[in-house]
Amino acid sequence: MDITAMLAVENLSCGYGKTEVIHDLSFRVKAGERLCILGPNGCGKTTLLRALAGVIPWQGSVEADGILLHGLPPKQRAKKIALMSQFSRAAFDYTVYEAVMLGRYAHRSGSLFLSETAADRGAVEDALRRTGVWELREKLVTKLSGGQMQRVFLARTFAQEPRVILLDEPANHLDLRYQAELLESLRDWTADGKRCVAGVFHDIGLALAFADTALLLEEGRKLACGPVEELDEKLFNRLYGMDVRRYMRQMYGRWA
Amino acid sequence: MRKKTVMGRKMNMGAGMKMGLLFLAALLTLLFGVGIGSVYVPPVDILAILAERFFGQSLPDHIPANYSVMVFDMRLPRVLLAFLTGAALAVCGAVMQSLLQNPLASPFGLGVSSGAGLGASLVIVSGFATAGLGTFLLPAVSLCFALGTVFFVLLLAARLDRRMSNVTVILVGMVVSLFGNAVMSLLATSSPAHAQRIQLWQLGSFSMREWSAVWALFPVTLLVCLYFLRYAGDLDVMTFGEEQASAMGVDLRRVRGRLMTAVAVLTGTAVAFVGIIGFVDLIVPHIARRFFGAVHRRTIPACALLGGTFLVLCDLAARTLTPPHEIPIGSITALLGAPFFLYLFFAGRKDG
Repeated sequence: MDITAMLAVENLSCGYGKTEVIHDLSFRVKAGERLCILGPNGCGKTTLLRALAGVIPWQGSVEADGILLHGLPPKQRAKKIALMSQFSRAAFDYTVYEAVMLGRYAHRSGSLFLSETAADRGAVEDALRRTGVWELREKLVTKLSGGQMQRVFLARTFAQEPRVILLDEPANHLDLRYQAELLESLRDWTADGKRCVAGVFHDIGLALAFADTALLLEEGRKLACGPVEELDEKLFNRLYGMDVRRYMRQMYGRWA
Repeated sequence: MRKKTVMGRKMNMGAGMKMGLLFLAALLTLLFGVGIGSVYVPPVDILAILAERFFGQSLPDHIPANYSVMVFDMRLPRVLLAFLTGAALAVCGAVMQSLLQNPLASPFGLGVSSGAGLGASLVIVSGFATAGLGTFLLPAVSLCFALGTVFFVLLLAARLDRRMSNVTVILVGMVVSLFGNAVMSLLATSSPAHAQRIQLWQLGSFSMREWSAVWALFPVTLLVCLYFLRYAGDLDVMTFGEEQASAMGVDLRRVRGRLMTAVAVLTGTAVAFVGIIGFVDLIVPHIARRFFGAVHRRTIPACALLGGTFLVLCDLAARTLTPPHEIPIGSITALLGAPFFLYLFFAGRKDG
């Protein structure tokens, strides 16, 4: 494989029970790249993310940061790949600081009475500042707004210090400004060229504005994968069953 | 960086202080739990009796010799049994709530109580319970049944759903519990002679006030609590959801299986000795989280101390409110627990 691929997926198949959802899928994400995964509802976008994050079993070969994930202990895998799911509520009263500290789980050894190391505290502080929730660190997560909560989850994902972040519709339920801030901090995160992001977005406009490459999924198979500017608009039209460009122009044309 | 370290230390100091106070409160409750009864024995005298028993010092003149027997052989084991049971149930409740991410979850939902109940009823109905070996046969059989039921629930859940999601576990646990309770009722009605004993067992009692029970429950409680502390970090991660936990590196199936087994062993052992005592496992974790936060490294010890203290106080009420009759301990915990739970729930709603 070429050295710059941070995430290399070969012949991946996965699904739930006996139902296969993703069929023989191969794609790569280079270091520093931001990939968006596009496709209509039910095409297997979220399933793909869940497989890559180790939530559901899969067949094939997945390599992250040059390491084969197959058979890797969960903690080792979590040091390479993190998943940021859709907004979810916390069940119990953790403070923001404590919740973000949980991102360090994979980096801690499972010894009795484990306590935080300086590296843990440093990573958590960095994550809190990157996402702008440092000031909220002593608040309880159960008292946060949806937008604040999502930023805390992003901070926890950063604190995990992975090389690949998988996003599952991270901007859902967020105000425009929070959406922009969230994507901006993710863009900063990949800016050093050593990490990459692969995300599922509901909003195509948002996806194409954020990502530099796109993976188009049609019924669990790859329709196309490549730089956003090079993808033929006919593929989009086929994927969504409508004239996507015209629709986008209608939506955003008034300001453009 | 430095600023944060200072803040972190201050926070821990506060929690440490609170934990120390709670520890003191627990000790005082134990002392007064032993002291209060048909005759009051002041704490100083209790300490003197303990010194006599443990270090062979002679008893001060003003303490009658039969007080020593009453305090050391009757009240103390009972109070300690109550404390251990409360600690065990509260800690298991906290762990179950986190494992299933459900503030209303309880170890009894896994079928522990109905399994233990079924085992106990079988022993009672068979008539072996009255024999000399009954004192240990009953707890042994009900522990085996409790463990068997939990394994059955987990196996069935794993069979139905390979990922063993929380909903599956809760539903299977509920179905199996209801079935076990039905069989227990059937046993009780089919042999009216034993029905009352089964019913008493279902409400819990510390009247088996023997040191042997304390020595059996103490090591199990201590070891399982330490085991839970070892998994404190995993439990923290798991409260935020199954998908996120496994993506963050938790070996979900294995960790959950181990912790549920530990819950079954501890609740099963406690229930086997004292019967079914509700509400402790449900409300104590909520109170503990309120004062000590949700991080399990603190919640688990806090639950142990609070749960133990709570049950000693409940037992005190059970045996002193209506002398010479005892109120079943399960009724007391329910009487106190139900309104308190509602209060907690609605108070939380208002400012939430």
